[in-house]
Amino acid sequence: MQNKFSEQRVQSIMESLGGLQPAAAPDFFYTRLKGKMQPAAEKKTFFILRPAFITAVLSIFLIVNIFSLISIRKAPAEPVSMQSNKPATIETFAAAYNMNTGSVYE
Amino acid sequence: MTEQELLFGLRHGEESAFKELVTRFQDRVFNTALGLLQHHVEAEDIAQEVFIQVFRSIQNFKEESLLSTWIYRITVTKSLDHLRSKKRKKRFGFLSSLFGDNNMPVYEPEDFNHPGVLQEKKEDAAILFKVIDQLPENQRTAFVLNKVEELSYREIAAILNTTESAVDSLLQRAKQNLRKKLNEFPP
Repeated sequence: MQNKFSEQRVQSIMESLGGLQPAAAPDFFYTRLKGKMQPAAEKKTFFILRPAFITAVLSIFLIVNIFSLISIRKAPAEPVSMQSNKPATIETFAAAYNMNTGSVYE
Repeated sequence: MTEQELLFGLRHGEESAFKELVTRFQDRVFNTALGLLQHHVEAEDIAQEVFIQVFRSIQNFKEESLLSTWIYRITVTKSLDHLRSKKRKKRFGFLSSLFGDNNMPVYEPEDFNHPGVLQEKKEDAAILFKVIDQLPENQRTAFVLNKVEELSYREIAAILNTTESAVDSLLQRAKQNLRKKLNEFPP
């Protein structure tokens, strides 16, 4: 296969960066840089709104709820002796909790 | 402002010090990134990331090297990371065009023209940059730092954390590879 470039051309290409002027940063570089830094700082303050945080909180809430439901279902039924056919009145409530103390005037 | 005053200001979060740092180094950082990435927009983006990194990690700068060396090192690292990520994206271009990156396809770069190249050498320089793009990372970095940023062997050795003789060897191999690729051009 024939070479595309002559030795002279290869040499010329190799030396093509001679006298190169360094490229200058684009105009308003600092302003754009400050602009890029700003959203990063703002994002930090609103971490509560990040999807990962919201998902984690909702997952914990859901797990606690499921755990509570399972616990309630597994709890033993109330013994028969504790059940009563009497209508719920203030007197029965006071009697159940031993709150019917006599008056000091009696 | 001396380097010590600049560092003191940066460590105390003074905006004037940060502005001075950017003014002092923006051209060097941009030119290095441009030489390595061969893309104006990407080079500006990486240059911005370099200064953000400097701002965030200035407390970790131990002054074991010059501030300029440290900044050059960050620039080289970020530019090479960007190139690797670009290569990965190109490799999985089909998938990324389906699922990510705003469904933007990965385009083949056009011929790169460095703005500092002399008018009569523009065509040759564009060919040279195309072959530089095919060099291994370390040879490419040494060549760009030497030819585009015009750093001395000592400065390049400090940036790449190696010896001057190793830099000389890297540059010799880079030149040999470039000649070889030019003789096979277009690949």
